This record gives sequence, C-alpha cells and structure tokens, in this order.
Amino acid sequence: MEPKILKVKNGDVTKTINEFLKELLNSGKVHSLLVPQAVPSKKMVFPVLISDSNQLNADVFAPLLPASTARIISKMTKFQATKEPIGVVLRSCQIRALVELVKLNQANLENIIIIGVDCLGTFSIDSFVNFSEGKTPTEFILEAFKEKGNSSDKYLRSACCVCKDPIPTNADITIGVYGVDLDKEVLIDVATKAGEKVIEDLKLDDTKSVKEREKSIKTIREEKTKKRTEFVKEKRSINGIAALSEFFDKCINCHNCMTVCPICYCKECLYDSSVFDAEAYKFLRKADRKGLFKMPNDSLLFHLGKMNHMILSCVECGLCEQGCPSNIPLMDVFIPAAENAQKEFDYHPGKDPEEKIPMIVYREDEYLEVGEK
Amino acid sequence: MIEKEKEPKTEEFEPKIVGFLCNWCSYAGADLAGTSRIQYPPNVRIIRVMCSGSVDSMYILRALLEGADGVFIGGCHPGDCHYIDGNYKARRRIVLLKDILNTFGIEKERVWVRWISASEGQKFAETMREMTEEIRKLGPNPIAKQWNI
Repeated sequence: MEPKILKVKNGDVTKTINEFLKELLNSGKVHSLLVPQAVPSKKMVFPVLISDSNQLNADVFAPLLPASTARIISKMTKFQATKEPIGVVLRSCQIRALVELVKLNQANLENIIIIGVDCLGTFSIDSFVNFSEGKTPTEFILEAFKEKGNSSDKYLRSACCVCKDPIPTNADITIGVYGVDLDKEVLIDVATKAGEKVIEDLKLDDTKSVKEREKSIKTIREEKTKKRTEFVKEKRSINGIAALSEFFDKCINCHNCMTVCPICYCKECLYDSSVFDAEAYKFLRKADRKGLFKMPNDSLLFHLGKMNHMILSCVECGLCEQGCPSNIPLMDVFIPAAENAQKEFDYHPGKDPEEKIPMIVYREDEYLEVGEK
Repeated sequence: MIEKEKEPKTEEFEPKIVGFLCNWCSYAGADLAGTSRIQYPPNVRIIRVMCSGSVDSMYILRALLEGADGVFIGGCHPGDCHYIDGNYKARRRIVLLKDILNTFGIEKERVWVRWISASEGQKFAETMREMTEEIRKLGPNPIAKQWNI
C-alpha cells in the first residue's frame, strides 16, 4: 500500500496526530490505544491504555521513555492473546524489544496493531521533568528537528545518541517524520494487511513522492551507524579486570538495571535468589584466601552473568542506564558487548520475528574448533 | 577454629582448575583414567554435572571471579550427547561467554572445552596434563587478587 499523508493543521503536528488517533479509536477498528500521554501534573509522560477518545491527548513525540512499553504489552498478552484489537504506539527500540519478547514467548502479537513512530530521541527523566527552555520538551524537540539543528543533542540519552535505528521496522503502521515537511504533513506508512484493515475507513491523502523520505532515512541511518561505530571504538578502553571493576565501582547491587530491562523477563532472577547466600564460614574462608573483599560482593558476577543471559537480545534502549541510581553509564559496556556478540552469531535482535534466538538453536557443522586443540 | 587453607609448600605455582564434567561421557572418562591407574596432575577439582549443556555461564564466571586459575568443561563428542543436543548448546554458550570475556580483555584462555567420551580415559589424563601446563605458563589468575569485584 502506498504511503498516505495527514495534512497538518495550523502547524500543530501533535494535534494532527491526535485527531488521527481519535478517528482510529472512534472507527471501532481498535478497542483501545496504548499511547504516551502526559499525567495530570504534566510533568511526566507515560503510556496510557485508553478507550475513551474524548480523553485522548497523546504526546507521541514526547522525548521520554519512562519504562519499557514492550514490557507493558508483554504484561497484557503473555497469558492470552488479546481478543479485542489494541493499537500500540511504540518507538523503534520498543518494537525491537517486543519482537524479542515474542520470540521468548513473553508476548503475543495477535490483535496487536503496532503503530511505530519515527523516533527523534529521548531525554533523561531528570532533563524532561526539569526542562527549562521556555517550552515543553516535545515542542522543543520538534522545533529542533524542523530546523535540522542539533540543539536537542545535549539532552539526549547516550543510548539515543548512538541509536541503532530510529526508524521503526516491523510496525503495522508507521507515523513518519523523517524526510517529511512537518509544517505541512505527516506520513502514514502502512506495511501490513492488519494495518491496512485498521485505516481503511479513514480519510487520508495520497502522497506524491517518498523519495525525499527514503533519502532522509538513509542519511539518518548512516549518521547513527557512524556515531555508534565511533562510540564502540572509544569504549573499547574498558579493558581488563581492573578497568572493568573500576567501571562498576558505583554499583550498589540493587539490580535495577535488570528490573527495568525489557529483555530480562525471568519471574525470579537467579541473581536475586538466595543461591549466593551461604554459611558464614564460606565467607570467612574467602576472606582468608583474599585477605579482604568488598561487600556486598558478586556485583561483577551479576553484571557479566546478566550480560551472558540477555546480550544477544539487547535492543540498546538504554533503560538500564536510565534506571541506574548510581548513574553508571551502562551503555558504555553493553553496546560494545552487544556489537561483538551479535556479530559473532550474525543475529539482529528485533529485526525479524522468524529469526531464532541463537542460544536455542545450533548447527552441527559450526564452531568445530571449540573442544579441539 | 576454622582451618585456614594451607599455602602450597613448593615455590612452583600450582594452578587450581575447576572442571565441570558431564555425567555420561567426560566424568566416566575421568573415572576410567582413575580405574586404569593413569597418572594425571591433581590440579583439577571435578564437579559432576548431568550435561555440558547444563553448565550456565554463571558457573564458569563464578569460578573465574572467585580466583580459579582455569575452568574446564568436558562433554560428550558432538553428536553423542545423552540428551541429543546439550553439547551443541553448550558449544554456543561457551562461544558467547568467550566473546564477552574478550570484549572486556579478561583472559578467555583460562576457559577450556574438550569433548571426551567414556572410553577415553587416556585422553582425559592427557588433557589434564596439557591444561595444567598451559595454565601454569599463564600464571596465577589476576582476578584472585582483585578484592573489589
């Protein structure tokens, strides 16, 4: 299906998209929408599940990812697929995470209509709440985007600065802004039959050309890849056990990076269990062996262990870093580790729902050197 | 009183190796080496597991971070797994673990994998000799001295 456009009224993109979403909700093609919307204090924007179109006041471009939206969908669908269709508005990293959760049997996409939004990046919770440029963060980031400037870069989370791909893939419908004149129009790109069915009754205009968008997407992808490659190169400096343990010096063993991670789905994490508690004499023996050791112990074991369990599916959303109360720049270790591990298995998390997670499959004729001299 | 671990009397460094051996092949192989009275260095501390595929990366990491000089994983030859494909999965898991260790410059050479069948007592003894010597050359695991991890 050819991409459609929404004509922007009075230069207000957010309002135009709201009208589109309202129409979608009123058409009855979706029972509810999961959209980012400001809480009454206006300080924060959270995903809301909304069925009453009169109360819809979505803020789809709000530069904030307070929690993993993919995980919210997992919560709703892991026991049973939804019978009524739900439209979910997601950023690209959250679509990637959702695809991984589906592979891990933690979410069911039946009757879920993914409405992807071209991502302009997100701020840290602190910069978002205390934003002081005289306008809302959404207005600010949209203006910065229209001016093609980089004034919003200083507020972006590091994960967003080096985002793998801000353009949604695997979305049924994409709300596109890259390569589109936002003062006049917003692109509505429909990629699947389910998406087509949802918007068939809506009145949308045909677009004249998508060449500009394709060019723009190519540029942004190249730009981000370049930044990410540089980032990975720079962060290789964390080398050796001394450097690595120094990096985690501020870790207080709260395991919040795991709690907020969309991929860490285990109900009970091994590292939260009492497996590592033991009789005092075992600790004393260790003290004898080393002379002394830091308590709480095993923080590096936790980080490296967690990494082994989830790094292949890491979608680089940066929620671990955002959730760290000690402000450890976790992307500095996760992005290089993800880059290497995913390359090793030629695996692309979130890209193809049919691609199997490397740890559950194997080939007989691979890694023949392992186990031999 | 808790008995303190005794320091080795000899000057030479004696590596401590933690070995995870699968019940069906490598453990039986080690058993055969014993019953056949084949000599091999006593540096390995054997832990029997049901399958090399059951060795989570956590076990290997914990041994390394607690200061083991080497970690050995022994499984059935590819194609011979008692549980059909446990060792194939172990193989991928170890590739991933070594990749992560490599990213952060932690010595992945301390982690060894060998496929040893129940009839290969000789191979088990030889592997233990070879590994002990290689780890001896590498020297003590520097992580053992790191107390702030």
